[in-house]
Amino acid sequence: MRRLSQISVFLCLLTIAACDSADCSLRNNVACTYCFYSDGESISLLDTLNVYACGTDSVLVNQEIGASSVNIPMSYWLDADTLIFEVCGEIYRLVDTVYVEKTNIPHFESPDCPTKMFHLITSVRCTHHFIEDIAITFPQINYDEVENLQIHIR
Amino acid sequence: MKLRTCRFISVSLLMLYLLPLSTFAQEEEVMQEVQEALAAQEKIPLLAGVAVSADLCGLFMKITNSRFANMEAACRLDFKEKYFPIFELGIGDCTREGGDNNNSFSTTAPYFRVGMDYNFNKKMSGNRFFAGLRYAFTSFDFDFKNPDFVDPYWNVQHPLNISKRSNTQWMEIVVGIETKIWSIIRFGWKLRYRGRIHQSGTEMGEPWYVPGFGRNGGTAWGGTVDLAFDVGKTAKSNKQK
Repeated sequence: MRRLSQISVFLCLLTIAACDSADCSLRNNVACTYCFYSDGESISLLDTLNVYACGTDSVLVNQEIGASSVNIPMSYWLDADTLIFEVCGEIYRLVDTVYVEKTNIPHFESPDCPTKMFHLITSVRCTHHFIEDIAITFPQINYDEVENLQIHIR
Repeated sequence: MKLRTCRFISVSLLMLYLLPLSTFAQEEEVMQEVQEALAAQEKIPLLAGVAVSADLCGLFMKITNSRFANMEAACRLDFKEKYFPIFELGIGDCTREGGDNNNSFSTTAPYFRVGMDYNFNKKMSGNRFFAGLRYAFTSFDFDFKNPDFVDPYWNVQHPLNISKRSNTQWMEIVVGIETKIWSIIRFGWKLRYRGRIHQSGTEMGEPWYVPGFGRNGGTAWGGTVDLAFDVGKTAKSNKQK
């Protein structure tokens, strides 16, 4: 009887102290992946690329040279992001505006882990100075680093 | 010297003859015990008793302000002192706050379990050794909040308030022991291994805690420390004993 009580108290404490570790995902970067194409084939940009978020002073991509793809974060609460894509060569500067419409889906794992915002791209359009066309390949923006949008360069 | 040798031989022979006799006597005792146990088993009525119990572990966790607590009570039948169909009803409570990121998770909801325990102890000593199985279900609303949810690139701070409903079902494998303390009072513990079989309402993320299950995941360990009371006819017969 005494031993039973001791075992009971031990088990009670064991239950209370049961594992309480935070298992946060190691992948915590949520961004839209834009890949560059020309004539249907993947290319690397020879020029310098800058990307700005319209309405903020954030520079999302800064002086990127030779990029074949870029990962650009999305706004948490806006229904559409307006991005300025700027390509700078030695004697020229071309600017296009990309509009990405989306729905925002909050994502949580544990109170101990940072909360993220996933997105679902609903439509995309752009101006056509150096961008010929833009197409959605995978609309879900989450931890998976896959090609989400294809930018076809003129 | 010869006399000593003769005495040793005669004692040895005597022991050699008596040894099988004592073994035979032991076998007879065992047989008698088994027969008595069988007779006692036959005397037990089909419905041997009803008991209600409460989990002390959950209450202790609630009192000590643990991050979550499953407070539960159970009602079980006793068929032939072997089979114990059981219904468990509880309320799970959890308030969990993240350290650095101001996240908070909270829920309070009931849960239900049905199943059966089997008593492996053949002796009618008041001690029971259980193994059993449970099916459990809960439907609960949970809140996930972050008042300082900041968009780092667009630099917008917006409170995050998520309220979702989730249904969760799971199975439990139970092992435990129980002993009669006094009159109608019994005390014991059960160790439970839980396996989730279904969960809905997880589009935005899985709830951190599931009432009755504990910390959410594919599997979980748990336990209860039960204080049980025999009620009805069993209680009266136990009192008389």
